[in-house]
Amino acid sequence: MVGACGFSRRAFLAAACAVAGRALPAFAADGLRLAAVDWAMAETAMALGHPPAALAELIGFRDAAVEPPPQGTIDLGLRGAPNLEALSLVAPDLILSSSYYSAIQPRLERIAPVFTRALYVADEPAFPKVMALLAELAQRLGDPAAGPRAQAAAQAEFATLAGRAAGFADRACLLFELGDSRHIRVFGTDSLFSGALEAMGLRNAWTARTSFAFAAPVPLEKLAEYPEARLVIVGRMPPQAERGLGSAALWNSLPPVKAGRVHRLPELRPFAGIPSALRFAHELVAALEGRA
Amino acid sequence: MNRMILAAGAVMALALWSIAALSVLPPAAWPTLPWRVDEMTVQQILLAYGLMPRGVLALLAGAALGLAGALMQAVLRNPLADPTTLGTASGAQLAIVAATIFAPDWLLRGNLPVALAGAGAATGLVMALGARRSFAPVTVTIAGMLVGLMASALATAMTLAQGHYLLSLVMWNGGALAQVDWSGSRHMALALVPALLAAAALARPLMVMSLGPEGAHGLGLRLAPLRFATLLLAVALSAMVSAEIGLVGFVGLAAPAIARSLGARTLLQRLMLAPVAGALVLSLADGLLLALAAAGGPSLPTGALTGLIGGPLLIWLLPRMKAQVPQQTEAGDRRGHRAAYPERLLAGLGAACLALAVLTLFGGRGPDGWGFMPPELRETFLPLRATAILAAASAGALLAGSGAILQRLTANPMAAPEVLGVTGGASLGYAVTVIAVDGAGPLMLALGTSAGGALALAGLAGFAMRADLSPARLLLAGLAIGALASAVLGAIMASDDRRAWVILGWLAGSASQVAPLGAAALAGLALALLAALVGAARWLEILPLGGEVGRALGLPLAQVRLGLILLAGLATGAATMLVGPVSFVGLMAPHLARAMGLARAVPFCAGSWLLGALLMLLAAFGARTASYPYDLPLGLFATLIGTPWLFILLMKRTSA
Repeated sequence: MVGACGFSRRAFLAAACAVAGRALPAFAADGLRLAAVDWAMAETAMALGHPPAALAELIGFRDAAVEPPPQGTIDLGLRGAPNLEALSLVAPDLILSSSYYSAIQPRLERIAPVFTRALYVADEPAFPKVMALLAELAQRLGDPAAGPRAQAAAQAEFATLAGRAAGFADRACLLFELGDSRHIRVFGTDSLFSGALEAMGLRNAWTARTSFAFAAPVPLEKLAEYPEARLVIVGRMPPQAERGLGSAALWNSLPPVKAGRVHRLPELRPFAGIPSALRFAHELVAALEGRA
Repeated sequence: MNRMILAAGAVMALALWSIAALSVLPPAAWPTLPWRVDEMTVQQILLAYGLMPRGVLALLAGAALGLAGALMQAVLRNPLADPTTLGTASGAQLAIVAATIFAPDWLLRGNLPVALAGAGAATGLVMALGARRSFAPVTVTIAGMLVGLMASALATAMTLAQGHYLLSLVMWNGGALAQVDWSGSRHMALALVPALLAAAALARPLMVMSLGPEGAHGLGLRLAPLRFATLLLAVALSAMVSAEIGLVGFVGLAAPAIARSLGARTLLQRLMLAPVAGALVLSLADGLLLALAAAGGPSLPTGALTGLIGGPLLIWLLPRMKAQVPQQTEAGDRRGHRAAYPERLLAGLGAACLALAVLTLFGGRGPDGWGFMPPELRETFLPLRATAILAAASAGALLAGSGAILQRLTANPMAAPEVLGVTGGASLGYAVTVIAVDGAGPLMLALGTSAGGALALAGLAGFAMRADLSPARLLLAGLAIGALASAVLGAIMASDDRRAWVILGWLAGSASQVAPLGAAALAGLALALLAALVGAARWLEILPLGGEVGRALGLPLAQVRLGLILLAGLATGAATMLVGPVSFVGLMAPHLARAMGLARAVPFCAGSWLLGALLMLLAAFGARTASYPYDLPLGLFATLIGTPWLFILLMKRTSA
C-alpha cells in the first residue's frame, strides 16, 4: 500500500513539524511531492519555491548549501546509488534526476515518474541550460508562472552584480580549484561559473582547449600562460597545498601573484543550479571589492 | 654493446626532455647561474624550477625504484618482486588516502612518515604470508597482489565515503611528476645516496645468502637480520617515491630485468646497474609524456604509462623464470582433516544460506530503526530486497565457484578470480563505456563491461593455449592483464572529470542496483556453474595431482584446462558485470570449505559455492544496513568480513 504509506508519512511529518513548533514545509502544503537525486535539480526546485521532500546525500548537500533544505527533509543515501527503500517510503509524485544517473533511471521509474535533463555535458555551456531548467521544471511542477519569475529575479541579481563588477572587467578571470601545490583544475567556458562570469559582464581567461571539459586537472605551470589574468581560487585549499604554494618559486613568480591579483572563494558547488551560480557571483564580487 | 644501449637510452631521454625544455625557452635565454628568482622571467622560472627539477626527480625516483626492486628480488630470490607486486606501493597509497581524509594534519610535515608506515605494514603482511611458504616467488607475488588489491579496495571505499572528489588524491594515484621547486629532488637525493651505499654494503652478504641457508650458516651469516635490513631499505625507498610522486608501478620490476639482460652477472653489478636502468626507464616515460604535452597533447600522469609497460613486461618475464626459480616450493597445502559426513555439512550450509536469506529479506533497518518489515510495506519492499539478495548470493556463488576451479586447477591456494584479470578487464570495459558514451544506459554498460571481461578472457585463453602452460604462469598472466587494466583505469581517473566518480562508485560494488531480470540471470548462471562443477568432478579431482598424473590417466589436459579457465572466467565476468568487482569472496570461500574438511572435489566445490553465497548475503546485509540510508560498497564489506579470516587461515594451515 504505497499510497497509504506515503500519506501516513506525510501526516507523521506534519505532526512532527507541529510538535517542533515550526511552520509546515512547503512540500506538505501544496503541489507535487518531490524527491531529488541530482543536486542541480534540487537547487532549482528550491529556487522555484518547491523544495524536495527528500534529497540524496542530504548531509553533503547541507555542507555547502546556498539555502538550507527545509526541516524534515529525508535523506535518500548516495546520489549514484540512492536507497530505493527510503525512496519508496517517501512516495514521491516526481523524482528529479539528471543524465549522470541515467544508469539507475529504470529503477527510479518503477517508483515514480522521473524528470531528467542532461545539464552538464562537456563542451556544451551549462549556464543557459540551468537557466532554462527553471522554466522547464516550473512547467512540469504545474506552476508555470514560477519559472519566468525566478529567471527574472536571477537576471536582475546578475545585472546588479554586473554593475558592481564593471570596474574589474578590464582583466579576464581564471577560475580554478587547487588540487595540491602542483596541480589545478580549471573551469572552462562550458562550466556553470564561467556562464555566471559572462552574466556579470566578466570574461573567463581559459578560452583555449575547451576539449579539456569544464574541470580538467592541469599542471600549475599552465598559469604562467595567463600573466594578465586575475586568479580566482574556488574552494577550500588542502593544508599541504597551502604550505607548498607559499614556498613554490613558480607560484610566487607568477605576475598575478606578485601583483596581488589572487582572490579566494569559499567552497562552492560547480555542478549545481542557478542558486549556486548566484552565490558564486556574490562571493566573487565581494572578493574583488575586498582587493580593490 | 651494453654501454651503447644505456647511452642510447640516456640520449633519448635527454632529447625528449629537451623538446619540452626548448618549447619553453630557446637555449640563449636560459637562466645563468647563480639563479636569482627575483630577476628571472616566468619562462626562466618554469625551466629552472619546473622542468629541471622534474627531469632530475625522474632520474632519482627511477633509480630509487630500480634499487628497491633489485634489493627485493635479491633477498626474496624472486625475479617478480618489486614495490608494485609486493603490495608496498598500495600500502603507502592506502595510508596516504586515509590520512588525507581523516587526519590531514598528519600530512603537514610531508607524506613520508605516513607512506612509510603504510608501505611497511603492507609489506610486513605479505612477508608474513610468504614466510610460511618459504618465500616461493609466485605465491609471494600473488599474496602481494592480493594485499595490494585489498588496500586499493579500502582506499576506493574511503574516497567514496568522503563523498567528494579529492583532486590531490586523483593526481597522486596517477603518479604525477610535475614540480614547482627543488624540494622533491633534494629529498630524493638525500635518501638515495645513503641507500646506494647501504646496498653496496649488503651485496656481499646477500650473495652469500644466495648460496643457500646451509652455506650461509656455515659462513657465520645470520639470515633473519640480513633479510629484514634489506627489505627495510627497499620498503623505505619505495615509500619515499610514493610520498614524493605517488604511484609509479613496475619500474622496480623492469630495472633489474634490464640489468640482467644487459649482462650484470654478480649481485653487486645488478644492484648498481638496476638504479641506472630504473632512472632511464622513468626518465624515458616521463620525457615521452613531456614531449607529448609540449606538442599540444594532453598531460597524462607518468604512473599510468609505466603501468602500461608493466603488464607486458610481466608476461615477457614469465618464460624466463624457469631457470631461476625452484618450482617445487610453489606446492600447495597438504590435505588437512576430512569431514566424516560432508553431505551433512553441505546440507547445513544450504540451510544456513536459506535462513540468512529469509532473515535479511524481512529484517533490516528503516528510518525508524531496526526491525522486521511491517506487513503493509511488503508489496513495495519484498521485490526490491529479494532482487538484491538474489543478486548478491548468486554473485557470491559464482565468484566462489570460479575460485574453487582455479585453486583446483593450479593447486595454488592463493588462486582467485581477481587474479585472473577478468575483473580488471571488465572494470576497464565499464570505465571506457562511461567515458565514451554520455549518459550510457544499463544495457550499454552491461555490454561494455562484458566486452572488457571477454577481451581479458580471450587474452588469457590465448596464453593458456600454449603447450607449456604451467598453472602458476597462468595466474601471473592474469595478474599482468589485471595490472594493465588498472593502469589504464588510473589514467582515466586522473585525466577525466566527474564521470570518474561514477566509475569509482561501481568499482566499490553494489547489489541493490541490480534489476530483477539481471538478478534472475545471475541466479541461473550460478546454478549452471554448480551443475558444471559436479559434471567436471573427475577432472577437478585429478588436476591437483599434477600434469603427469593427469596425462597418465588419459586426461586431455590442454582442453580440460582451457575449458575450466573459460568457465571460471565467464562466471567471474558475469558476477562482476552486475555487482562490481567484489574482492576476496572467490578466494575466501574455497579456503573456508577446505578448513571445514571438504576435501574431495564435489563437496569442496559445492561447499565453496554455498559459502560464497553465504558470505555475500552477509556482506549485502551489512552494506545495506550499517549506515542507512547510505548503501555502503558491497566490495568493502565482503573484504572486511573475509580478509582477517583469510589471513588467519593462510597462516595456520601451513604452519601445521
